[in-house]
Parts: sequence; structure tokens; C-alpha cells
Amino acid sequence: MRTKRLIAALAFAGASMLASAAYADNYEIDGQHAWVTFTIKHGIYGIAHGQFDAVKGAIVMDKADVTRSSVKAELDVGSIHTAFDQRDSDLKGPDFFNAAEFPTISFESTKVEKVDDKTGKVTGNLTISGVSKEITLDVKLLNEAPAPWDATLTKAAFSATGKVSTADFPMAKAADGFGLGPEVDIAIDLEAIKK
Amino acid sequence: MSAILGNAMVITAALPLVLGIVLALLSRFVVPASSPVRILFWAALVLFFYWDTLGPPVMPPVAASQKLIYLAIAGIVIGFLPERILAGRTAGVLTAAALATAFLWLGWRRIAAGSLDLQMIAALAVALLVLIGAAMLMAQPSSPSPAAEEPFLAPAAALSLSLSGAIVSVLGASIVTGQLLGSLAALTGGWCLVQYLTTLRGGAVSTLSKGVEFLLLFAAATVLIQVALLAPKANPLALVLSSLPPLAAVLMRGRLQGLLPGARPLRPLVAGVVIAVPAILAIVTAIVWAPHGAALGFS
Repeated sequence: MRTKRLIAALAFAGASMLASAAYADNYEIDGQHAWVTFTIKHGIYGIAHGQFDAVKGAIVMDKADVTRSSVKAELDVGSIHTAFDQRDSDLKGPDFFNAAEFPTISFESTKVEKVDDKTGKVTGNLTISGVSKEITLDVKLLNEAPAPWDATLTKAAFSATGKVSTADFPMAKAADGFGLGPEVDIAIDLEAIKK
Repeated sequence: MSAILGNAMVITAALPLVLGIVLALLSRFVVPASSPVRILFWAALVLFFYWDTLGPPVMPPVAASQKLIYLAIAGIVIGFLPERILAGRTAGVLTAAALATAFLWLGWRRIAAGSLDLQMIAALAVALLVLIGAAMLMAQPSSPSPAAEEPFLAPAAALSLSLSGAIVSVLGASIVTGQLLGSLAALTGGWCLVQYLTTLRGGAVSTLSKGVEFLLLFAAATVLIQVALLAPKANPLALVLSSLPPLAAVLMRGRLQGLLPGARPLRPLVAGVVIAVPAILAIVTAIVWAPHGAALGFS
């Protein structure tokens, strides 16, 4: 009897472990609650701010083994927004993000590392104007919970920061000419809907 | 010195203007007309301004702006072809083929995207008009005893196209191509200035070789095509008007010849003004309908 119970307990534990290892949640980035912002040195003066309003993508989060998680995201270059129309036009132009030729910026993770229960590092390829560069984002899981107004809707919220350089992309010459950057700080806050 | 050279206005306007003057003086007093060294000088200067404004060549080129310097190199290679190839019908066909290829290479992403919006229609019109104009201009044979305005027709077309293209480009949110076109305009303008002063003094004008004419027209045309394809706020009408100077130059030896006065010193001036009319209209159009007012430069 004791042996049977032990075997059953072990089998249950093993099955639970296997289940959790294979269990990964899928999320879709909630474009209405996504803020992809950046700051860059503006000439000899201050810091310029901007953001991309149209963001979409998917997140796979494996809580049991975070390294098996992944992120894929896409920004619409045409949605760039810096609180000044003329600057937005300049940034969409061929000197910078070149929206007519490359309408989207994409990020696809290649590696996810766990730092602690709530934080991790997501490394991936950021592609701007057809040029891909590896970057690493420091990511924090802020919360995951059912919506108070709809128990069937579960959302997770993430915060991420990282750095890129204008020198790595085809905007280097123009950015240098106008004294922008080269370092760009990225700050991302987004919510994702569990599928 | 480095601060002066780092100034965008110096690099875009003053330096190429001075270098254009120096080239014209060299052509007049030092380098014989038949010497291939002339095109070598022009090629080196054109490449210098491409490099300075767009940065060093990237391999493989991905964005259209990275392809421009390779197109300039292709223009230089064609410019080195023997004069007999760069004359008459062969030159016209070669010019048309080179510009059609350049348009397809620069614009293939936009063409593949299949969106026929107003910007794309304007880009197609610009490419077609500049192709027809440049091909016809290159196909025109040199006269055995050229009229006073004849050596000025191709450079005036390249100058007008570059100058209006530069302003349309900057006002259309493509500043780097505007700088490049500005440099090409100033370089050609420096040459024209010396040659015209020579005409005024009754001297013999040093004619540009067909290779240099091709290089200047091809460089200006390809950069204008890139502006038409990619500058998000470039005025479509201004772009189309900017592409017309080569056609106006063709007509100066045909239907518009009647506009030219008999006085020899005035003929290049009047021809230049007539060739510049579409460019002037392009500049006025771009300024009047500038999307953010006629403010130049990054905001």
C-alpha cells in the first residue's frame, strides 16, 4: 500500500513537472496599451523624446523555464511621434527611418535569460531600415492578473529598457550631421493579452 | 580649418562652387580638351561629395540611399567609355537604359509593395521625364561649329535639375539628398560661371566631354529619382517640374531656338534661363506649398 502511494505521488509529481516544463503562455501585445519610447541627445542642448504609436507582436512566456520564452514585435515607422509634425516628417524620411522603403521596425528575440523571478534579459535582432543589429533589453514582469472587469481576460504587463546606437543603422550620417545621439535610450511599457 | 569644412553650407555650396571654378580654369589653361584626366577630376569630385554627404559605401547596399554611391560609380564607368560610344543614338539608348535600371534598383522595394499612391505616380513621372530628357540630350550630336550656347546646354540642365531638386528635397524632408544635389549644382555652377565669363570676354569655351555630361546628368537624375521615391513630403508637382530641364535643353536646339538672341554673349544666358524655367517653377511650387512652411533644416 505504501509503495503504491509512493509510486502515485512520484508519478503525480513527475507529471506535474513535465506539464509545467511544456507549458508556455501565449500573449498578444495590446497595441492600445503599448508605449515604445526613445530619448536621444539633441545637438549641444537637451534630450529629445519620441515614441512609436503603432505596436504589435506576440510574446511566448514559459514561466517554468524562462529561457524558452520569446518575443516578436513590430513597430509602424509611420506612427513615430515626437510632438512636432515637421520633426516627425524628417524622421520618417530617407535620412532617418526611411518609412517609404522600410515601413516597419522589427524585433525578434534570440535568447531570454532569467535574472530573478520578475526580471530577465531579452536579446534579439532589431531591424531598422533593412539592417539588423543584436541588442539586449532588460525586462521586468510588472504583473499578470485577470482584468477586474472581465475574469476571462488575463493580461501581463512588462517594462523594458535598452540602448541602441544610430551609428549601427543607415541613419548614422544624418544623425551625426545634426548632432543627434549616437546613443538612443529605449524604454518600453506594454501590456499583453493572454490567448 | 576643420570647423570650416565641418560647416554644412561650406561643404554643400561654397566648396563645390570653388572646385567647379578650379576645374573650369584647369580645363581652360592646363588640361587639354581631349585628355581623359578631365573626367578623372570630375569623377573624383563627384565621388568626394557623395562620400561626404552619404558616408562611405556599404556592402551590400540595402537602402536606396546606400545604392546612390554605386550608381555614381556606374556613371563614372560609363563616362569613361570612348566618345564614339557616348555620341548619337548609342548614347541615348545607353542613358535611357542606365536610368531605367537605376529607377528599378532604387525603387524595387516600393515597386514590390505595389502601392500606386501619389508619391509613386510622381516618382514614375520623374523617372520617365528625366530619362527621356537626358537620353535625347545625350543623343544630340555635337555641331561641327557649335553655337555659343551649345556647350552650356547639358551642364545648364544638370545645374537646374540639381538646384531645384535640392530645394524640393530639403523641403520634402530629405535633407541629405538635398545637400548632395546642392553640391552637384554648385560644382556645375562653378564650371558654368567661368565658361560664361570666358564667352563674355570673347574667348573659346572649353566644352565638357560627353562622358562628363553623362556623369553630371546621371548623378543629378538618380538622386532626384531617389527623392521622388522616398521623400515623404516632397511636393509631387515640384518634383515633376524639377525633372524637366533636360527636356528644355533638348528643345533649345529645336523648337525653342527662336527664343535665342543674335548677340553671341547673350545666347548662353538666355538658353540657361529658359532651361531653368521649370526648375524655378519647381522651387516656387515647393516653397509655396511646403508642408511645414519654407523652413530648411532638421527640426
